[in-house]
Amino acid sequence: MIDFVIYSVTVIAIWSVLALSLNLQFGMTGLVNFGQILPFAIGSYAAGIAASFGYPWWIGVIGGLLFAPLLSLAVILPAQRLSQDYWALITLGAAEIFRLTMLNTPSLAGGADGLNVPRFGSPVLALCIALALLVVSFFFAERVSRSPFGRMLRVIREDEVLASTLGRNPIRYQASVSVAAWMMAAAAGITYGHFSGYVAPTSFTVTETFIIWTAVIVGGPGRNIGVVIGAAVIQLLGVSSRFVAQWVDLPSDLIANLRLAAFGLILVLMFIYRPQGLIAEKREAHNVDRD
Amino acid sequence: MLTATDLSLRFGGLKALDRVSIEAPPGMVTGLIGPNGSGKSTLLNVIGGVYVPNGGEVTLNGAPLPLGRPDKVAQKGVGRTFQIPKLAQRLTVFQNMLAGEPDHCGERISNLFFRPGRVAHQERAAAERSTSILKRLGMVHKANDLAGSLSGGQRKLLTMGMLLMADPAVMLLDEPAAGVNPVLIEQQVAFLKTLRDEGRIVILIEHNMDMIANVCDRVYVLDAGSVIASGTPAEIRSNETVIRSYLGQPAEAEDEP
Repeated sequence: MIDFVIYSVTVIAIWSVLALSLNLQFGMTGLVNFGQILPFAIGSYAAGIAASFGYPWWIGVIGGLLFAPLLSLAVILPAQRLSQDYWALITLGAAEIFRLTMLNTPSLAGGADGLNVPRFGSPVLALCIALALLVVSFFFAERVSRSPFGRMLRVIREDEVLASTLGRNPIRYQASVSVAAWMMAAAAGITYGHFSGYVAPTSFTVTETFIIWTAVIVGGPGRNIGVVIGAAVIQLLGVSSRFVAQWVDLPSDLIANLRLAAFGLILVLMFIYRPQGLIAEKREAHNVDRD
Repeated sequence: MLTATDLSLRFGGLKALDRVSIEAPPGMVTGLIGPNGSGKSTLLNVIGGVYVPNGGEVTLNGAPLPLGRPDKVAQKGVGRTFQIPKLAQRLTVFQNMLAGEPDHCGERISNLFFRPGRVAHQERAAAERSTSILKRLGMVHKANDLAGSLSGGQRKLLTMGMLLMADPAVMLLDEPAAGVNPVLIEQQVAFLKTLRDEGRIVILIEHNMDMIANVCDRVYVLDAGSVIASGTPAEIRSNETVIRSYLGQPAEAEDEP
């Protein structure tokens, strides 16, 4: 049982970092990233590829943390003249292109078989690293959220033209936040690679992006603590469905698909009844001297 | 002096601006009037860098303003408000004001972590200025309300306040009095005169002819994308062409071309 708790908390911590990363992009800045799994995949593959070539683990860490933000700029800068709808399509496409590239380059990325990654020494070590990453990511996201930078991100989310008439170039803010958020997601991916011991294209499908989105929408876009809770709720629902599978006599693949259907239902219900999420974005109050 | 020379802009087959030239000297309020669709807001959008003109140029004190880059134009000291106020609706009034602070060092991620003291210092200074501007506008009691909950008139005041945070040398104001109650209009007239006396360049679009007559030193009349007349408000009021196209004419003559 304790092993299961350690496993679950580790998974929740990793997915919370992904949710925080998406929250920086979507919740605060309004960037609709439908390829959020991409920087995560880059991190995992960096760990896997470094291991397969016999490099030490820190080469994979550096590779992932450099390549993900560079790719974010490569994706965002050509898209700067396009509207947000295209941003969604471009990120979705980029994530799929990366996954298919990994699937079709067996010599580099192991193809459909994936790559082995050295596991952390013990599950407790994995837990500690995942939690440490979560704490660092959380404080980073909070500092950004409460800062003048975070305020301008929200102005951009509400109205890009307003931000530019205030003398700000929205693309600079969108690019900075993407670089930071993609590094964060890549760090989660590297941790995940060493935690699961294995990376393969099937781990990085559009469905995974959809699950991160569900966590953010359920938790509360724009609110860091909310999206962490959202990630916890979604992951707990995910792992608990395995127990459900034991109790009810249904085939496991059906349960897996029902789980996705349940996430979809939750998403629809949240949009209708509580679009601000479980924990709504906070209204920053200032002590204003009225006299 | 802000000078627009021969600005032209076409939207497909529509000539939104047809070789429009205006001059707006400092310490004066320059009015733009004309019927709906005559190109007044479009002209402000071109000067403000929102639209790229098909021809012509805009200069501020002799130096050309970048075209099609609203952020760069704003950095050169040109501030503007919109006919439908643009606000961050889900932020508070006070946060909107703070967003008007120009060149905030706290808007760089690295400064947040490596120069927190400097960020906090500028933030405090910005908060003090925001408070005093909100007091001047009579909106300090709304500071922690969401901008989206404000009335139309209050929104216009808030956008004016955000503009003042940046303290621009040029102010482009698109219908600041539309939908605002008469008491606030009085206040805005007094306010515009203050801005003028501070030596700013003010360009004002307004349909309220009393306000135009009251505050403008020079008025340009646009119709169908062209300047059809210019002069003092008194000259404009007696100009035949303007009366026909905009100010109104006897009802029986209305259908004439």
